[in-house]
Amino acid sequence: MANITFNVNGNSRTFDGDDEMPLLWFLREDAGLKGTKFGCGIGQCGACTVHIDGEAIRSCSLPMSAVGGAHITTIEGLSDGDRLHAVQEAWIEEDVAQCGYCQAGQIMAAAAFLKDVPNPTDEDINSGIDNLCRCGSYYRIRKAIKSAAKKLQNA
Amino acid sequence: MNNLSRRGFLKSAAGTTALVISISTTPSILAADADNSGNVTPCLRFTDDGEIFVCVPIPDMGQGMITTATQIIADELDIDPDNANIEMMAFQGHVNADGRADEGPMPQGAGGSLSTMTVWGPLRHTAAYARELFIHAAAIEWGTSHRNLITKDGAVYNKKSKASLPYKDLVAGTRRADYAVLRGNATPKTAKERTRVGKDQRNVQSHAIVTGEPIFGIDSDIPDMKHAVIRRCPHLNGSLVSYDRDSLLAMPGVTHVVEVARRPDDLSRPWTVQTGVAIVADTFWQAKKAAAAAEIQWDGSRSADESSTVLKARMADHLENGEVADSRQGGDVDKAMADADQIVEATYYHPHWAHACIEPHNCVADVKEDGAEIWTSHQSITESINSAAAATGLPIHKIKSNVMRCGTGFGRKYAPDFIMEACLLSKEVGAPVKVTWTREDEMEQDHVNPSGMYRMRASLDEKGTLTGWHVRTAADGWIRNAAMEPPMGLVDNYKGEWGYIENNVRRGPWRGPQHNTAGWVIQGFLDEVAQAAGKDPLDFLLDLYSLKETQKLDTWPYPLLEYERFRKMLRTVAKDAKYGRRMPDGWGQGIAIYHTFSGTCAHVVEVEMLGDKDYRVHKVTSVIDCGLAVNPLGVRAQVEGGINDGLCAAKYGNFRFENGVPVTNNFNTYRKMRIGEAPADISVRIMDFGDEDPRGTGEVALPPLIPALTNAIFAASGKRIRTLPIAENL
Repeated sequence: MANITFNVNGNSRTFDGDDEMPLLWFLREDAGLKGTKFGCGIGQCGACTVHIDGEAIRSCSLPMSAVGGAHITTIEGLSDGDRLHAVQEAWIEEDVAQCGYCQAGQIMAAAAFLKDVPNPTDEDINSGIDNLCRCGSYYRIRKAIKSAAKKLQNA
Repeated sequence: MNNLSRRGFLKSAAGTTALVISISTTPSILAADADNSGNVTPCLRFTDDGEIFVCVPIPDMGQGMITTATQIIADELDIDPDNANIEMMAFQGHVNADGRADEGPMPQGAGGSLSTMTVWGPLRHTAAYARELFIHAAAIEWGTSHRNLITKDGAVYNKKSKASLPYKDLVAGTRRADYAVLRGNATPKTAKERTRVGKDQRNVQSHAIVTGEPIFGIDSDIPDMKHAVIRRCPHLNGSLVSYDRDSLLAMPGVTHVVEVARRPDDLSRPWTVQTGVAIVADTFWQAKKAAAAAEIQWDGSRSADESSTVLKARMADHLENGEVADSRQGGDVDKAMADADQIVEATYYHPHWAHACIEPHNCVADVKEDGAEIWTSHQSITESINSAAAATGLPIHKIKSNVMRCGTGFGRKYAPDFIMEACLLSKEVGAPVKVTWTREDEMEQDHVNPSGMYRMRASLDEKGTLTGWHVRTAADGWIRNAAMEPPMGLVDNYKGEWGYIENNVRRGPWRGPQHNTAGWVIQGFLDEVAQAAGKDPLDFLLDLYSLKETQKLDTWPYPLLEYERFRKMLRTVAKDAKYGRRMPDGWGQGIAIYHTFSGTCAHVVEVEMLGDKDYRVHKVTSVIDCGLAVNPLGVRAQVEGGINDGLCAAKYGNFRFENGVPVTNNFNTYRKMRIGEAPADISVRIMDFGDEDPRGTGEVALPPLIPALTNAIFAASGKRIRTLPIAENL
């Protein structure tokens, strides 16, 4: 088994298990980081979204073999110590979460999206975000994305 | 805004519990042991280092129970909800004659849109009692009358001396209160005195959710835990024939291979636990990989001839030729039809819907000789215990159940199977076992919403007034509501008949059981009848709901409908939506109203057709009667969510099976709606009819949404949708 080295939330990590295993399961099981969620396993729902070198990636569909040298940020690493990311703040202010299970993935997707599209229109959001929310909290997700965009622009 | 409270996260107390108050409408600490070693089940716990624990009676599956319970208690007790610690209340029911857990004074399961109504009285009385104890303890401490004292911000204040004492300094003194106070019966606040109930309250676990804290069942991890992934029979009502055990045991990390027997073993009864082969391994990935590679032979002969298409054809045939299982009638609907100026007739159909709970089912079980403990996401504290007891044979009082926050439930997480599986395996293996379902498992082994076909007939007189109503159903579940609800009883000539199609599909409750499709069939067909009568659907509905002032329904929970509320709601939603204004070509508005269990909701949906085969929902305007809105922000969330759930189910909901095997088993084959198709504009108004108590909300918005949508599509395009899903029938 190859020894794979990478970085998670600023900490160096190594892995020498089955390199077919998706990154999602390293994060949840090996690293004990439960914030990244399992929703479908085929990259369809986005509950497993993390950032790799700043880009939103669905970790259920990325095998460990592809993770060498990567800088991975999970929801646990999105805030700066106690200082929440603008997206996290907006999510709280707009009271987005119902059950909350999909929201870590939504937040990671939105944070990456806003780096690419800092001032999104409704059409930008429609085509740029497709994480599944089973509770249907989309109305508030949309508001929170716009609110976070303003916060980030004013920061 | 960087110091947002972290307090909402489930954690155990560092300090010693010093005061416990159990849930009751007449709480009393006289019977309680001060150090919580007695039999008292806490609703409120106060520790000696000043922490307050709110024990939430009913699980939260996104309907907001944790927040609502905290809000109610925080208001009554005059504390900041952000300063309350949350834990789930232990089981506070009793063991019945059959050795099963039975609900106590307050049911501890989420369903029927009942959670808020259930906890409303008991939580307020319990918190009011606690406040009284603190006031009287302070009165004794200061040697003053309790009449000089008020509570605010977690402390008792002396109005005269301006002194204050925080609750934590009064805990020890609560036992010195007057016997009359200790006995209980404190009066909760009047509506005027309330400071939080009736105002927007944000989710108290928001911080935990947005920072990824491990608060869901699937996040549970306990030491020395093994992982199990189960290959369950993919055939409807099939059986296990054989499997290659040796090659499974040889796979990396696999420690045990355990056959899971179907329960009950009587194939004529629906399964509680599905038959399968459990692969137990050291890690989840090892278990999953081995399970996927397992070679297993199944017997699917019992359902091999069954498919969604065949079932639909059977329904059509049954509507014509089949036996009526039961019926309801009044007046003379045949005469009404014979005398009619116009008869309107149409056939409606909807397929099965899967739950697609976003958190795949899971349970950790640690079963020992003398007791068992489970960690899971489940809708019912009581039933979670019964599930573990059924699987282990242990008595109720030896089961400890840790019910976590649920990644949705929608009725499916009320079932016992995933708990029983984990318990059976832990018992067999002699170690804690975590069972994790995959998405494919969750869909293939779902208890789907029933499918049905309906022949609808209505008679109109020459004035375009509804004179007769006849519904005949052929469904594969006990779908009766569509053939029992108004306008039956609103018009005097009516007949409702239902026929039951036996098959091997596993069905169960789905958000708003029966109502979730009856609303569409009834309000969609009424729209057709209105059109035939040459009337605007709004006017037709207002006339219809003017025929009587009240009507008691024959369907659970036997509510008394007050049609003045319906009329007000219709007028209000129409006004809010600017219903009836001229729309551009290809745009349309649809309206519908429906009562589900204990709440009523009306919507106006605005759509724009996108070519012939698609549409965009631009705006939904809604009004809801949920009685007293304890948390308006939460009520609006439930309506917003119900709207999107309804839009999705109507457009895409189609659980399909072929040759007795479900073929829609992940989100690539069972499509769900994303933000791109969700209306950017939703406006929700909470009606105020002066109710003093809350009614239901969780399931109330969805049933009228679907007909409002298909009515809007008709208005926009002239196409009448009588077959779901819309995406395949435009």
